Amino acid sequence: MNEIALSEEQRDCLQELINVAMGRASDKLARYLDTFVHLQVPHIDLIASESLPSSFAESYADDGVSLVSQGFYGEDGILGEALLIYRSNDAQGIAEILGYEPDDVSEVEQLTDISSILTTTFLNGLAEQIENQLAYSAPRVVSALETALESHLHQLSFNWDLALKVDISYQVTDYSFNCDMILLIPGEAIQNIQKVLDRILNEF
Amino acid sequence: MNAFNIGASLIEKINSGVLVVDESFNITFFNKFMESHCLLKSKDVLTKNLFDVFNDLPEKWLKRKIQSVFMLNTPGFSSWEQRQFVFKMRHARPVTTSSEYMAQNITFLPILADESGSEVEQVCILVEDVTDVCFYQEKLKETLEQLEVVSRTDGLTQVANRRFWEERFEVELETANRYKHPLSLILFDLDKFKQINDTYGHQGGDLVLIEITKFIKKKLRQVDLMGRYGGEEFGIILPNTDAEGAFELADRIRTEFAQFPISFGNHKILATISLGVVEYDPSFDSYEDMVTRADIALYQSKASGRNTTSLYRA
Repeated sequence: MNEIALSEEQRDCLQELINVAMGRASDKLARYLDTFVHLQVPHIDLIASESLPSSFAESYADDGVSLVSQGFYGEDGILGEALLIYRSNDAQGIAEILGYEPDDVSEVEQLTDISSILTTTFLNGLAEQIENQLAYSAPRVVSALETALESHLHQLSFNWDLALKVDISYQVTDYSFNCDMILLIPGEAIQNIQKVLDRILNEF
Repeated sequence: MNAFNIGASLIEKINSGVLVVDESFNITFFNKFMESHCLLKSKDVLTKNLFDVFNDLPEKWLKRKIQSVFMLNTPGFSSWEQRQFVFKMRHARPVTTSSEYMAQNITFLPILADESGSEVEQVCILVEDVTDVCFYQEKLKETLEQLEVVSRTDGLTQVANRRFWEERFEVELETANRYKHPLSLILFDLDKFKQINDTYGHQGGDLVLIEITKFIKKKLRQVDLMGRYGGEEFGIILPNTDAEGAFELADRIRTEFAQFPISFGNHKILATISLGVVEYDPSFDSYEDMVTRADIALYQSKASGRNTTSLYRA
């Protein structure tokens, strides 16, 4: 696992890219949702995938969760899977934010829609900065409510070497909801990201 | 043909629907697949408003969806699992599928005014036919439901198998304990079953097991659960039933079954059963405690000459 750990410089650089991407995403979201959107500066963490289940099981121990997954792939071998995790309680009432008629959309569809919007606006913001272009697979609900998160993450951890955990907290004026975003990135793609980070670092 | 013409020609040939709308939802492109599956002609729909051409679309949702692509410059998605179809289109499997309309996965893609910019000029709606996926998913669901039933049923008698019966018993015991509701158990066993097998063969014996369970099932309520506990031993869980009620039912089953001839070829088999009844008491630790006590009562019935009902008394 050590050979793909990020250096301190690379890490700072990535944090900065993520901050900017988050800012752009929140600006876009505010215009789209026609309301004030507050986004906290996200905290990032790189976690070896085998320790991912336990680190999340703790923070979600008491809650039913919903997990939405969406794959992304771009140029220069950058690819991965974005996971958004919601606590059951936070997942309700999304239809209203999105401007849908509540009867018009199922709960699962509300989840996949908001997830896709959050994931793609954020990742597009990230891709723009590294002059990349991303394409996305359709969002998919991995686990419905009331399913243990840990067992799902266990299954995932076989396929991923390193996970970039980005804690995101979205707040919309009258209504707040929180979700965590995790970017699961295979080792090979991490190396490609490192190359990109080094390139940016050299330019400054 | 140059690359551009190849692309244009392929879009007319692919097995997916491609339509493009501008910011006012007016249609600017409509490929062959859309034409043939919607029974519309491109020349008749171009420049027309999407919601006039298709007047049964979920308008509010779809408008918001398309707007998100224009405003955010990100793709949007709609999956058949949440919304089986958006456009009412015929599919290529009209015979083998139960669904009337094509199941669709839809991707909404931004088309930029200028490739290097970020201003979205139009939105491409890509419609994929996933009727096959939907069809197999339905089949899988049906199969899983059947498996679920099979996994909890006794193959011969079609009553609950022991594993499922015990699971349910545990749940009923917890409920009775929590809400202070009465709960009773009847355990019964065919009398001289070995003799029936010796006289009529195993097919005769099997038939008796099938007939006794059928006979009793008719006398039970929806909430009661009969399960095959062992070879010729069965248990009946009776929620909300006290010892008196359970004993009365057990003894009625016993007397009526003794007069119920079972036709086997030219023979009429008259079998009898012995029963043990017990009511739940909070001093019991588990359902196994109840089974043990019902077994003691059942043994008393056997000892006192069979074709008898006994109630366990602490």
